[in-house]
Parts: sequence; C-alpha cells; structure tokens
Amino acid sequence: MSERRIGVYICHCGGNISDYVDVAAVRDAVKDLPDVVHAETSLFACSDGTQQDMIKMIRDQNLDGLVVASCSPKLHLFTFRGVSRRAGLNPFEYTQANIREQCSWAHTDDRAGATTKAIGLVKGAIAKTRESSALEPMAVQTTPASLVVGAGIAGLRAAIGLADLGLRVYLLEQSATVGGWVGQFGPTFPNDRDGREMVADLLEQIQERPTITLLTNAELTAKSGSFGNYAVTITVHGESESTVEATVGSIVIATGFDTYQPEIGEYGYGIDGVVTLAQFKELVEASPDGIKFHDRPVRTVTYVYCVGNRQPGGNEYCSKYCCSATVHASLEVSAVDPAIHQYHLYRDIRTYGKYELLYEQSRKRGSVFMKFPDETPPTVERAGDGRLLVTTRDTLSGGVDVTIPSDLVVLVTGMVPRENTELTKMLHLPVGGDGFFNEIHPKLRPVETVVDGVMIAGTCQGPKTISESVASGLAAVAQSGAMLMKGVAELDPLVAVVDASACTWCGECQRVCPYEAITQVEVDGHDVASIDAAVCKGCGGCTSYCPSNAIDLLGATDAQMQALIENLVEVTVP
Amino acid sequence: MEYDALVVGGGIGGMESSLKLGDMGYKVLLVEKEPSVGGRMILLSKVFPTLDCASCISGPKMSSTINHPNITTASSSTVLGIRRTPEGRFLATVKKRATYVDPAACTGCQECEPVCTVAVPDQFNADLVPRRAAFLAFPQAVPKKVVIERAGTSPCTDTCPAGIKAHGYVALIRNGRYEEAFQLVLEATPLVGTLGRACYAPCENECTRDDVESSIPIRRLKRFVADRHYETMQGPGVVAPEPNGHRVAIVGSGPAGLTAAWQLARLGYGVTLYEASPEPGGFLRYAIPAYRLPQDVVERDIANVTALGVEIVTNSPITDLEALHHDGFDAVLVATGTPRSTTLGIPGEEFAGVQSGLELLRDVRLGAGPDWTGQRVVVVGGGNVAMDAARTARRLGARRTIVAYRRGRDEMPAMASEVQDAAHEGVAFEFLVAPVEVLGDEHGRVTGVRCQRMVLGAPDASGRRRPEPADHSTFVIECDAVIGAIGMVPDTEDFATTLRVGADRRVAVDPLTRQSEVEYLFAAGDVVNGATDITRAVGEGRRAAHMIDRFLTGRPLDGFVALDDRLAAVDKAAVLARQRTYTPREAAPDTFSLSDGPTDFSEVERVLSEVEALAGAGACLDCGVCSECGQCVRACPADAIDLNAKDQVIEVDVGAVVVSTGYKLFAADLKPEYGWGQYANVITGMQMDRLLAPTRPFNTVLRPGDGKVPERIAYVSCTGSRDRTVDNPLCSKLCCMYSVKQNQLIMGTLPLADVTMHYIDIRAAGKRYDEFYEQSRAMGASYIKGRVSKITEKDNGDLVLRYEDIENGGAITEAEYDLVVLAVGVQPNREVEQLFTDEHLDLNEYYYVDEPDDDLDPGRTNIPGVFVAGAAAGAKDIVDSITHAGAAVSQVAAYLERRRDDDLINQELATMELSR
Repeated sequence: MSERRIGVYICHCGGNISDYVDVAAVRDAVKDLPDVVHAETSLFACSDGTQQDMIKMIRDQNLDGLVVASCSPKLHLFTFRGVSRRAGLNPFEYTQANIREQCSWAHTDDRAGATTKAIGLVKGAIAKTRESSALEPMAVQTTPASLVVGAGIAGLRAAIGLADLGLRVYLLEQSATVGGWVGQFGPTFPNDRDGREMVADLLEQIQERPTITLLTNAELTAKSGSFGNYAVTITVHGESESTVEATVGSIVIATGFDTYQPEIGEYGYGIDGVVTLAQFKELVEASPDGIKFHDRPVRTVTYVYCVGNRQPGGNEYCSKYCCSATVHASLEVSAVDPAIHQYHLYRDIRTYGKYELLYEQSRKRGSVFMKFPDETPPTVERAGDGRLLVTTRDTLSGGVDVTIPSDLVVLVTGMVPRENTELTKMLHLPVGGDGFFNEIHPKLRPVETVVDGVMIAGTCQGPKTISESVASGLAAVAQSGAMLMKGVAELDPLVAVVDASACTWCGECQRVCPYEAITQVEVDGHDVASIDAAVCKGCGGCTSYCPSNAIDLLGATDAQMQALIENLVEVTVP
Repeated sequence: MEYDALVVGGGIGGMESSLKLGDMGYKVLLVEKEPSVGGRMILLSKVFPTLDCASCISGPKMSSTINHPNITTASSSTVLGIRRTPEGRFLATVKKRATYVDPAACTGCQECEPVCTVAVPDQFNADLVPRRAAFLAFPQAVPKKVVIERAGTSPCTDTCPAGIKAHGYVALIRNGRYEEAFQLVLEATPLVGTLGRACYAPCENECTRDDVESSIPIRRLKRFVADRHYETMQGPGVVAPEPNGHRVAIVGSGPAGLTAAWQLARLGYGVTLYEASPEPGGFLRYAIPAYRLPQDVVERDIANVTALGVEIVTNSPITDLEALHHDGFDAVLVATGTPRSTTLGIPGEEFAGVQSGLELLRDVRLGAGPDWTGQRVVVVGGGNVAMDAARTARRLGARRTIVAYRRGRDEMPAMASEVQDAAHEGVAFEFLVAPVEVLGDEHGRVTGVRCQRMVLGAPDASGRRRPEPADHSTFVIECDAVIGAIGMVPDTEDFATTLRVGADRRVAVDPLTRQSEVEYLFAAGDVVNGATDITRAVGEGRRAAHMIDRFLTGRPLDGFVALDDRLAAVDKAAVLARQRTYTPREAAPDTFSLSDGPTDFSEVERVLSEVEALAGAGACLDCGVCSECGQCVRACPADAIDLNAKDQVIEVDVGAVVVSTGYKLFAADLKPEYGWGQYANVITGMQMDRLLAPTRPFNTVLRPGDGKVPERIAYVSCTGSRDRTVDNPLCSKLCCMYSVKQNQLIMGTLPLADVTMHYIDIRAAGKRYDEFYEQSRAMGASYIKGRVSKITEKDNGDLVLRYEDIENGGAITEAEYDLVVLAVGVQPNREVEQLFTDEHLDLNEYYYVDEPDDDLDPGRTNIPGVFVAGAAAGAKDIVDSITHAGAAVSQVAAYLERRRDDDLINQELATMELSR
C-alpha cells in the first residue's frame, strides 16, 4: 500500500462528545499513526469556520484522505463529503467515525471507557480510509419523458403538469374514456363544480399539448430498465391490438380507487330504496323538479355513514371524503326541495378544514344529525306500507332509540383499493395493509415509492378528495421534474462489483438481490454475474452471499472493512 | 441579484418548495424570518401517525435546504415588499435583520448564552421556560448560529448623556455580577462612585417601571457596585495598555477632563491633566458638598485615572494652549468648565457677608467655611448650586436659611429631589421674589436684602415664563449673609487668542466634533455648553476623547453623532404590552436620612444592601431585551459578536414567488372560559408537544404550576376552531390528530396517567389516521363526546372541567384533572397582506391566501407568477403541506418554463425583425 496523507478531526460537539470523551487523548492516540499527517480537535467540526479550516488544510497538506470523528454520518456525511469536494479531495476518500451517538452519548457513565472506545473507532476509520479509493458518482443521462398510468382526475392533471415542464408524456387509460370517477360526477364539493366539466376542461388542455400522447383502452404490459430510462411497452386494445414502445424517465401511477360495494343485507342493501351515495347523487341530479323514486315523491331521506369503513376486521381506514360528499349532497337535496326531511346517522362527522362550512350549512338547512354508537349500528327494514324503517340509537338525544320512516336510505360507502395485481407485480409497487399503494414516507415523501422514479398519485395511495388527488398528482409532477429536468442524474457509486474471474455463476446473488440488478452474462465463454450499477442500491446483500467471494462493495470493500475491524478491536475497553 | 424563485417562509412547505425547485435547476432565494429554518415541525415531539421523531426527519430536510447549491437561505430576514417589474418579473425588498453575530465566524458553541444577563420567554419552547437574549434558537437550528435579540435601546441607556449602559449594569447586578457591572460603567467613565451619588439619574425618569409604579433605583445600584469595588480593590482593575506614542494635554480636571483622560489613557495615549486648583476634580471636589459626595469617593474615582498612568499637574493654570502643543502634546483638550459665578448685579454686593455659592462651597471644601451659628442666610437663585449652598448653610449653623427665587417652584432649574431634600433639612423658600439691593450696616456688614415681588409673564428664550415686577413696592428680608447662586460662566479670557470665545465666554467649537479651528485644539464640557451637570460633562469627555483619537489616528471625524451608534429607543408601551404576567414591585426603600437642622457634612444617603440591590435590579423589565452588558462579546471565542451591526436591506429580482408563510396558532386566551394564561396548569397543545419533545425543557411531562407529574390529563379539542364566538367556523384539521398523538406519547411517558379527550368529532381523516386513533383507544385513552364549557381552578391547582356528558345521558358533569391541554387550532398568518405592494394578493373569506381554482390548480393565486404552498392557503398537516408544496412547485415550474418559451419566441421575433 502506498503512503497516504490523511487528516483527522476530532469534534467536541460543543461538549456533547468532549464531556464524556477526552478528545485530546483521542487526538494524541492517533496523531502519530502511519499516514496521519494532521490531527486536531475542533469545537464544532461542522461549523462554517472549521469547514473553511479543513478545506485549507486539505489543500495545504495535499491530503488524500479525511476522517472526521463526530456524530452519526446520517447527520453530516454529506456535509464533510461536500467539504472534501470543495477542497478538491474525492468525497469518497472521506470517512466519518461516529463517536457521539455510538460512543459519548451511550457511555455517559464511563469517561475512560468512552475515550478508549473512541480511539478504537477513530483508528478503525483511519484504517478504512487508508484502503479507500477515489470513486466517481455515476452520471445517468435521463430521458425527459414520463408515463402516467390512469387518466382519472389526478392522472389528467399530472399529464398536463408534466408537459408544462417540457417533458414528453404518455398518458394511458385502461378504459375507453378518460376522467375516471370524477368524470361521472355532477356537482362536486366544495365548489359545486361539475365533475364532467372539469374532466372536459382537462381533456381540452391535453389536446392542446402536442407532447402528450393519450392512449385509451391501453395498459402497461412490460417494463424494463431503471430510473431515468425505463423502457415501457403499452398495449392498446381495440379492433386491432397494437403496442407502443417508449422510454420514459419516470412513471406516475394514478390508477384510482373502487367504491365499496355493500353486501346484500348490509344496512338493508338489496331492499328497494336502499341505495349508495353515488346512486343517490345520480338520482338527485336527474330530478331538478323534485326528487322522485319509482315515481313517488321522496319526503324523507336517511343517510347511514361509514358503510364499509372504520370497520374492525374489515376496512379499518376512514375514507375521509364521504362525510363532506354527503353533507354536500344534502345541500343539493335542499336546493331541489327544501321540504325534504334528511336524517344523517353518523359516527364522527369528518368535514375537516373548510368543509366544516358545508356541515354547518347542512344543519342550517334542516338536516338532522344523529350519532350512533360504534357498537350499535342502525338497522333498516321494509315496513308494510313500502317505506323503509331505519332504527338507530341517537347518542345526542340521551341514547334513545329512534325509528325513522324513510323513502330512501342512502348508504355512504367509502373507497376501496383497486385490484391492480399485474401492475403491482410489474413495478414492484409496495402495498400497505389497507390495500392502497405505499409511499416511501407517509409524512415527507408521500408520492414517491421505494422504486426510484415511480410515483403514486391520487387515490391509489389512499382515499382523497378531488383537490387532494390533483395536488398529489402535481406533487408527482414536481418530483418527476426534480429528477428529470437536469437531464442527468447522479447516482452514488457505492455499488457492488463482480470480479468476473472469480465468479462461477451459481445464481445466489441474483436470488438475493431485492432490486433485480443482477443478470447472468457470458464473459470469455463463462457465465458470470453482472450488476447494473444504475439499479444496484449498494445494500451489500449479494456480497455476503457470494460463495466465491467474487463480489465486493465499493466504498465498503472487504479490505476496508477488515482493516476497520482489526483496528477497532485493537483497543480493549476494561 | 437574480433568482428564479423567491420562497417566503422556511417551514416545511417552504423548504419542500425550495428543495424541489432547486432540484429542478432553478435558483431559489428562501427567506425565513426566524433564525432557523424548520418552521413548527422541528419543534414537535413526534409526528402522527408514524410516531417518527420530528427532529430526526425534519433535521436532514433543513440541512439539505441550506446546503443545496441552488438555494440561498436568508434566515432572520423578512420580505418588506414585492412589486412587479416592467419585464413581468418581481422586485422583492428583503430586510436581513441584524443578528449581532457574524454567521461566518459563529460556531454555534453557545459560550455566549450562559453569560448573557437577560432571560426572556423562549418562544421555541412555547414560552414554558426562559431563554437568553443571546441564544441559539434550538439545538437543531439550521443554520446553527447564535443570534442576539435586540428590541431597541432600553430607555434608561438611551437617555444617559454619559452613554453609560444603564440597562447593562442593572442586568449584571441582577445576575450577581457586581464587578462586571462596575467594569461596564468604567467603560464610559472612571467616575463610578461619583455618579452613583451625584448623578441626577435621568435614566430613572425614563424607566418603564416608573410609568407603572416606581423606577428601578438605577443610580443607587451604580453606587452599590462602586462601593463594593472600592471596598476590596485598589484602582480600577483595568490594566494600562502599551503606550501608543501620542501625548494629549487636558486642561481642567473636572468630570469632562477626567473622563476624557480615562478614555484616552485606555487607548494608550500619554495624558497629562492640568488643574489650576490645588487638588484635581473640579466641581466634584470644590462644588458638590461632601454630604452628597464624600471626598474619598472622588479621590478613589480619580485614582482610577491615575492608575492608568495619567499625570495630573495641579496648581497649574494654563494660559497658553499653543505652548502645550509646542511642548510635545499632539492634541489639547480644554475642559475648564464654568468656574466663575455670575454676580447679582445689584447695589450692596460689596458688603461683607455677600459671596457666591461657588465660593462658599469651595471654602467649605477647603476647610475655610464660615461659622454661621445662629445666623440668617439668604441664598439667591433656584439652581442646584443654590440648593447646595442653602443646605451647606444649614450645616454651618445658620438659624434660618431662605432661598429667594424670582420664579415659582415649578420653574426652578434645580432637581426636584434637591429642592425636596433642602426643604427636609429646614431650608425655607421665597418664590417670585427678586433682590434689588443688599443692605448693610455701618461696619459694612450685610443686614438684609431688599426684594421685589414678581409675577410670571410671557415665556422667554429658554421657554420659561419671564418674571416681571408685580408692582413697585419692595420688602426686606433681614439676614447676616447673602449667597448669590444665579449662574456660572467659563473663565476663558486667556484662551481668546487661540480659540473663538463668545460673548458669554463660552468656547466655540464644532458642535459634533468638538474640534476648534486650530485642528489640535479641542474643547468640551461646560466651557463649551455653559453650566450643565456632571453626567453631561462625562458624556462630553467621552465624545472629545473619541474625536481626539480619530484625529490622532488620521480618521475622519465623523464618528458617533449621538453619543453612541445605538439603536432607536424601544417603545415603552410595547414593552408593557409584551409582559405576559406583570407583578407590581415595591419601590426601592428610601435610603436618605435627612434631618431638619443637619449638623455635619456626613453623607446623607446610605448604600443599598445586597438584598435591596438584587430586588431593585430584579424588577428590571429588560425593555430592549439585550441589555448591552457586553458579556457575550467577551465570552465569544470566535470574536463573532458585534452589537453595532445594522439591518441590511437588499433588493432581489425574481421570476416567481412562493408564499409559504404558514399559519399561526390560536391564541388560547381568547377563550377566557378555559383559563389559559390564568391557570398555570392549563396549557396548549404546542406546549405539550414541547414537554414531550426530545429537547424538552424538563426531561419529563410535568405541570407548570407546581412541577407535579400529572396523573389525570384532559384534552379540550376544538379550542378556537369550529367556533363562531371567536370568528372561526373552520375546522383546523390537525388538532384531533396531534391530540391523539400526544395521548399515546403521554401514555408511554407516564404509564400510570389517565388521558381523556373531550371532543366534538374525532377527525382522524387521512391515511392510517383512523387506525392511529383506534390504537390510542386500545391503549386506554378515553374519548368523551361533548364540548367543554368552562374550566375552573381549585386551590391546589387542579382543574375542574364542566361539560355535557352526551354519551351517558347528557347530564351536566364536572370532572377533575391535574393538567388540561387545549387543542388549539390554526389561524391565518395575516403577515401575507403586507407582501405585495402594487398588486393585491387575494385572500379568502377567512384570510387564508385564496386559490381561485383549488380543485384543479392548487397552489395558484390570483397574481400570475405568485403561488402559495402549505398552510398559508388553509389548515394543513405536514403531509398535506408537503403535497401542496409539490403542487405549487409544479405550477411555479410550468410558469417559469412558459415565460422562458415566451421570451425565446419574442427574442426570435425580434431577431427576425432586425434581419428584415
């Protein structure tokens, strides 16, 4: 091994470290190690001032390796890689030794022991750096195009958004017409806008944009490649089946939801006059001059909320939009005929945010709200006169049982995840316990999935209102733009590499790779493994499985890890 | 400076917007008003429904934001206004508030925090605990830079003519740092003991406490530290610097001369003070009576000056200023004051027994005072010298001492306290009388003063009403001595050849620089201004020293215009308005012992005891927040603190604007029936989040009233939401969920505690939210339907909630709890209304930023090129804000791309035009 020139900084972290670790002793223990040309302690290694000092030191001393012993690399790995880069040192020649979370904070009761352990950690990091080599991030040229799967309200709006960023868009829709559920709606909450008109508006915008290719009766039938360059095959059904091949940088999944279908007998479903909210809304819309059912004027409507939702053992989730949709429907009813009696049997009214105003208005217009206990749901039966008798316990009136003779019973049904087995399999989309697609992080990364470049938008991720679906579609647009607009993506070079001369192709690595990064190729007449660096995540799974030890992980090579461990275990803590 | 986008507000929505735009390749300026980005999320304990640690997931986002190559972050900054340019872009005016800490030098080590002498409520801990005026916003602050909060100059400091940091030394004393307080005064003047006694303390008149009960005893606090210092230490405790080679002569060793000498000596100048009298000190020694200012105090103060190597040459009246220059002095300061008395100018002044007040006081100081036992003395005049003379007369045995003054009591130039003290000591007053003749006997001795009655006429040049004879009748006050104390003038005849001397004998110099027409000659103090007071003279000495230093170091003489380069005085009404609880304090005790007929010259005022001093200083309201005590400046290892830093205003040219100004939390005191602000154990949801956070102030959940660990905790949902009585019919959307989250965290932290939430509807609407609520129920939290109507406090601090128990028959029920958490909702942040100066940003009915098409175009506002992200457009939880910010970013990018295309087309058209 040739001589190295390594600089070492040991951080006080203001006392977070130095209160429990004798940082000067750590420095003294490592300053004379071979290849260490500079070692110092610093009050805050991450401060701007120290960063400037480091840059100067790296340049003046011509360092080719840097070790900072401080906090978790989760906090400042990128900080000090950045320092290295700015100083002209390859960022992958930098090693962080965690002497805070893994040392000072864990051993506040043992200063001597903590100091010894810190010395071991720093020696290990120095040893690892001695074996490090310069690595270059992989630059992947990305294709400025996106595929949007599903032309409901989220997919339509996303396609427009993507095109407006200058990206080529393929928008595919399984059915013959675009618009999804919203395209079948009349007035929607909270702005009374007609769903069909909204869809028509969006479709017009799509037709104005030549960079959008809209394919109906279409489905995604094959996908290969990796982030930035997915090759997709779209099959268009029809009189003559055809396929469209395209390369796209990202994929936005916007496949929407299905509505809950009540079982026969569930709250009287099956009895004439027990309808779902969607059916009811159609009826209301079709009756501008007074609502009639089987030609009989409707005088009393009873809504039963949370049908198919918030059910222990069933769909446990809340569909979130239904309360607002129902109070909005009741306002439409009142507008048609203010004399109609409306009873709402609910558990919690979840008209969050400004939807609360609809709820307030509904009450003012005469709707009566009755809360039923979770354990005592309402029952629906047909009376002799053909009317429906809805019996419920009303918590708000002291828990009395009330029977409401009704002309119509509206079951407020929620959303359920749509069957998408093929797509889920093809794209490796993660599915949550509720059956909806899962995001990477439900707080901070709601439209990204663990599959790079594949986003989920709209209700395929979970129940949403129209505006929330549109917002998530546009968030997926922003994410696509952030990934593709520069035309090139940098990938960490910390990936597994195969020594073809040692590989005997047993296939173990391919079996354990969770990312399908490994393929079998022929090299000089031998079958060997080949790892697609753009797909590899550097998880290291294959390296430990390889029986021939033919795979190494850049940035954490066997040589580096062995050197680290040997030096770490040199110290013994009493 | 040009950016593609300006993002206003660095909370989660603003950070997400900036990051996404930055990743797309746009240049972003992110303006955040707080010292750190991160908004409210970084202050939270955990987040629902994942129970991720809020710091751990927002910290990296904050770090990515400020380290992003395409994002410039301006923290502690505000957007003052945005207007459109003719090119269709925007011009934004951004104020970068002075933080008084150089961010490039600050390492965030926080050495300044423990030495800071001011504690204020910590807004980043929801006011549960105090923080310092010099503070790191919170441990995870990004950028991790300390800032110093200054609301302005405290009124006491602002008004001090000597430029003494009054608030600073009061704050130091409150912290028990007496010597540091002494040293802080020394930075202005060596006359700490003197001013601690004889200053007229204009600071106390300006004290904000004085407006509500009584002032902090600021002057006596100074005396307290001076006495403590002199008890234990010889000299100032300051080491003389290396001589800088320059020599300065100062003529006159009064307060101005001594202060100038001190200031110059501390800069390394060789200073020689020339004094005409046998002892240095000027009026300190020869005019102010010992009962107010004992001799040894003056001597110790003067010893501060000589300790720095200043040479004092006494018995040396200077007549030739130029000669001093020839003798090697590089600059000469004339500070000879007003040693001459104005004569009465009436017949009979030649009689024995007639003398000036100054002569009397000087004689007494020299041990040559008259014995007036049993005699009657008339003092003519109404100024401080008159009071001193009258009170001195009482001590010399005068049977009767009358002050005759031609105006009324209200017009007296003497300090009101001096007049009062004189009256206490038996001095009588004759107002509206003017002497017209001194009467004498055949031995040439005074027998009386003939006086005339006066009335007040029209105001004169000084603004006071001019006295005029009431009629032609006169009367006689019989007496044995007459003291004239009607004015003092400089003695400047000898200087008239080199300096311009006015008709009133005052030396004319440049009013700002104190430099004369002879460039090395300066003059300051009463010789320039006429008779003022010690404190003004001290300020004059400082100013002159500063100017002489600038002159001798070759810098232009445009140094400070006011005595210091200070911030504007803080508004006292604002100080009182920001007090959350105001405890009236007892006034500092009277420390004077005055008697009718004093017999000696012993000091009439005692020093404050330590307990009294601490109580007095402890009542300080920290008007300016930062006290300017300067401890942080000394403590900073990086030399990063500059209390003279100034706000900066910059203009930036941006293509688009993202408004992500977030929301405000409902002010819970607007629901007085819940008692927040009155009952210590009623807290808000944000306060509970702080009690639960990893950086929590008490390391456990306890109730603020008595520190007890609560066993019964209640939540009151919809506090300030769904409530027309506070004009907010909207649901705040996130309070149910944060309450449920806290319910679970409390059950984890305090396994034995009972947690109950009083709710209207549980609005667990969101992915995995309802499951999270059910989990909370399964863990044992109770949820009771029914709005709480009233909370009352028991003597032991426990709280009684009154509500209708809807689910159990509807009876009006009362339940007792140890701690009540109000689930406060959100309110619009109406600061957005000021953002745009020439266009109107539409707000909706509830003052959130309006989105004209919130169905299909979320994030777009009524102004083309202006977008809204996050809770500025309405209540949103974190994930909603992130999603909404993403939507806004896609709109911004579409807008910028469209404009770029348009620009390209226009350019091409223009080129085609040209080529044609």
